Amino acid sequence: MDVDLLAQAAVSGLLIGGLYATMAMGISLSWGALKIINLAHFTFILLGAYLTYQLTTTFGIDPFLMIVVVFPLFFVAGALLQVFFEWAKVDEFRSLLISFGLFIIFTSLVRTVWTADFRRISSEDNPYASASIFIGGVALQVPLIAAFIAAVVIAVGTSLALSHTHFGRAVRAVVQDAEMARAFGIDPRRVAVILSGLATAYSGLAGVFIAMFQVLSPTMTFAWFGIVFSVVILGGLGSPYGALGAGIIVGVVAGVASVVWGPLSAPLVTFLLLIAALLFRPSGLFRRSPA
Amino acid sequence: MTARTKTLLGFAIVAVVLGLVPNVVEVLDAPGFYLTFLFTMFFWISQSSSWNILTGYSGYFSFGQGAWFGIGVYTTGILATKHGWPFLVALPVAGLVAGAAGLLLGLVVFRLRRLSGEIFALTTLAVSFVLASVARLTSLIDGGRGIFMTGTPLPEFLGDFRTSMYRMTLVIALLTVLTAYLIFESRLGWGLFSIRDDEEVARGLGVPTFRYKMTALGTNAFFGALMGGVWALQIGFVTVEDVFNIRVPLLVILMAVLGGMRHWMGPVVGAAIIYTLTDRLNSAGLADVNQVIIGALLIVMVLGVREGIYLRIRARWIASGVIFFGAMAALTVFDLTSSLIWDFSYALLITMAMLLIPTPLWERLTRSRITAPPSDRPPEQPVPSKTAGT
Repeated sequence: MDVDLLAQAAVSGLLIGGLYATMAMGISLSWGALKIINLAHFTFILLGAYLTYQLTTTFGIDPFLMIVVVFPLFFVAGALLQVFFEWAKVDEFRSLLISFGLFIIFTSLVRTVWTADFRRISSEDNPYASASIFIGGVALQVPLIAAFIAAVVIAVGTSLALSHTHFGRAVRAVVQDAEMARAFGIDPRRVAVILSGLATAYSGLAGVFIAMFQVLSPTMTFAWFGIVFSVVILGGLGSPYGALGAGIIVGVVAGVASVVWGPLSAPLVTFLLLIAALLFRPSGLFRRSPA
Repeated sequence: MTARTKTLLGFAIVAVVLGLVPNVVEVLDAPGFYLTFLFTMFFWISQSSSWNILTGYSGYFSFGQGAWFGIGVYTTGILATKHGWPFLVALPVAGLVAGAAGLLLGLVVFRLRRLSGEIFALTTLAVSFVLASVARLTSLIDGGRGIFMTGTPLPEFLGDFRTSMYRMTLVIALLTVLTAYLIFESRLGWGLFSIRDDEEVARGLGVPTFRYKMTALGTNAFFGALMGGVWALQIGFVTVEDVFNIRVPLLVILMAVLGGMRHWMGPVVGAAIIYTLTDRLNSAGLADVNQVIIGALLIVMVLGVREGIYLRIRARWIASGVIFFGAMAALTVFDLTSSLIWDFSYALLITMAMLLIPTPLWERLTRSRITAPPSDRPPEQPVPSKTAGT
């Protein structure tokens, strides 16, 4: 076994773990704080990726600029979705089913608009796809570095916001006891709408990074299910640092496993990790954060 | 005559009538696609009914139907092609293998002290992915090469391929639904319902919750794999991507939710409706629209008909019967569509439109108070989810 190869796998895994964390953050927040298991987040990630593909290809926008476009757009979409959930008064179980329905609808819309063909931003529009920084023989892909930095910023930012701002205190109050929070003048619905907007915007961002270095196809969401839910559960629901840590663990373990036992073993190892975690730490590996 | 005797008699009649369909088709020289349509429907009825034995009865939401289905496909595939076992011997073995796998999973997860329903759901999802990657990696199972099932010999007495498929799926579907019914009526069924409603209370009252949950999971896995094994023949060329995808678990959930998870007939009705609609939309070349409609239907049903179509049909059984059979008769007599299957699907759609009318509005519309037949179940409550807090 080549040591360089292992180091490369571990470092790539670390970086891609940041992407996993960004992908999982939205679902974790919405599950942990809103009590909504929102499978539609997978299609938000997909939509973010396709939107990035389309706008960069059509208008030649720098992919990194898409962050500024996608974030507010998806914030609004997520807020509207939460308004719908509030109107429908769904519990956890129904949210799973309804968002499953949304997932099916959005996925087939993506397939209708962009067809089932593989899509990739051309190299003129996306100079970052093949760009790498080398540190001692280990290559770091630029889009992954960006995704990792974004994950850290999101995790730290969200965590600080939850613990230090008025909004964050309102969120925690609503999570603990919505009725009591209402008695203290907090509108639980407004808190939920903003939080859902944020969670959705995070998923959209993950899509931007995915579009930067991966080939897109409408069925790629299925491959995400396993990894993202492993990260969500390992990290503990609603915990930003947990999602970050779990994303990194899953990324590194899967990366190293695919070098040692071949690429197909990565999902297997990931799930064994998940099942072990379920057995020994059912509430997640990182149980400290608020929300 | 007790209710149970009546139901079992009904089962016998349905079994005989459906059992004679291939002969009728042969005598009338009707197109063979009627048989294909029916046996695919039997496949889905069996899958969703078996799923419902675990999820509908005990409340533990499973995404794992694909895993049991896949174990069935691969076990029969390997035994029948690589080891030359007779197909009808390989089939029950496939069911038992999946049943054992289900019990193994149960042994792990149901022992967790604080297993919430959501964690269970995602673990079952994970199991399918694990099985998929194991199958892909192991050359003894698949190794990424796939298995050809097309030459598998079937016993003579089953008839040609289509008729064999029809007979095998019919028998398994009847067995699954019968099992679902017998459990529904038994002590085990009541125990499972009490677990669904409040597991702590159920345990406190002396319901052997662990054993009951294991039984439900094992039964679910057994029937899922039994039908999966037959389906290997229909797939023909078995690949990991075809078998362990999200389609089976997804549709099974849709069917049971639409039909109603709190009654053994719910998944049967739901499977018949969803399968008919998807089949018609696909044959009209609208596969993508199909997905949108299915998704929208799920959302509308979850929000609008919480108890499921079946219980709503029971509550409005006169109107349902009149509209369905009226539409069916009109469509057939005036020969408005190209086949009986189209008549059936339009009649279904019209009936469902009526069923979607919200209950308060419906009661105002039918002031004469059409009453439902006496129910053998207490009034339905909304399904509580198994959250950690409850």
